[in-house]
Amino acid sequence: MGFDSSEPEQRRRLQAALSAAEISTGDLWLYYFGIGGSVGEYEVEAYLQGLLSLPELQRDLLAMAANELFASQSGQRAPYSDELVTDDPHDGDGSPDAGAP
Amino acid sequence: MIRKYPLDELSSVIGRIMGLLLTEEKVDHAVQLLSRAVKESIPGAIGAGVSILDSQARPVSSGFTDAIVERADALQYQLGQGPCLTAWATQESVLVHDVAADPRWPDWSAAVRDLSIRSVVSAPLIADGQGIGAMKIYAAGPGVFEDSTAALMELFATPAATLLSHIQAAEIPERISEGLQAALYSRDMINRACGVLMERHTLTQDQALQLLMRDTRATHSTLREVSAAILTGVTSAPDRGRSDGFR
Repeated sequence: MGFDSSEPEQRRRLQAALSAAEISTGDLWLYYFGIGGSVGEYEVEAYLQGLLSLPELQRDLLAMAANELFASQSGQRAPYSDELVTDDPHDGDGSPDAGAP
Repeated sequence: MIRKYPLDELSSVIGRIMGLLLTEEKVDHAVQLLSRAVKESIPGAIGAGVSILDSQARPVSSGFTDAIVERADALQYQLGQGPCLTAWATQESVLVHDVAADPRWPDWSAAVRDLSIRSVVSAPLIADGQGIGAMKIYAAGPGVFEDSTAALMELFATPAATLLSHIQAAEIPERISEGLQAALYSRDMINRACGVLMERHTLTQDQALQLLMRDTRATHSTLREVSAAILTGVTSAPDRGRSDGFR
């Protein structure tokens, strides 16, 4: 599975915001898990390193987790995928395997 | 692509917590055994035990063999003076030939007169160069202990310190499990809110979650707040289909 065109950019900015706010992958993952994230900590780590592609919904949940963790700070935000792609359809989650049956 | 379920992480986190808790239990037990070994290998001893900091950073006695140890120690903590506190602070063993004649801790000496404690050896517990407590032994008569007793106590204090330096990590599993509990609670709530939306608007779970996320962003709130509002709407307004404001 290839990367969506916006994925590297989204990942890079999440990564930058996380390191600016000094939030560890473990903390991010626990929060992301707490808001319904379905990908394991190991995969999240791999995604942040650019080794693994994640479905859009999971990328956006990670961004939301980061932004809620940042809420008390006035630093960088993690972007959502629809903030990066202009021709994004409203329901653009192309992730058959992330859904529940 | 993604097959690994988050439960894998959960089980390993829980496994880590259990491991730490077991370690704490084992440490308590091991220190108790060490104290008993100390008491039994030193003739004339009436009690042994260790002083360490509890989770609120107050000195407490742990693994003591007799109630008299706990009482004599409690007086040291109360008065802020005594051989164990000195051994702890200086990281040097303290040998007391006669409590009644030793001028170093006048208040404590006076306080333990009724407990009939006359001889003391206290050895510091040192882990990674840090004094983390003291191991002590008490005797009823004066002049019971000598320098060789202190040397023997130091031999016991080394493994005790290594064991006890692990017990200090006991708050870590508490913290982990607090975070985990909060995450499980919020995940549960968000999933329930998704369920409500799925049924209400005939959505897949992913679509329901996306709807929640859009509303969260639009209202500058958190996913948890939006979910809580939906669930509150369900209980307060059973007239479903209108309470969430989604179309």
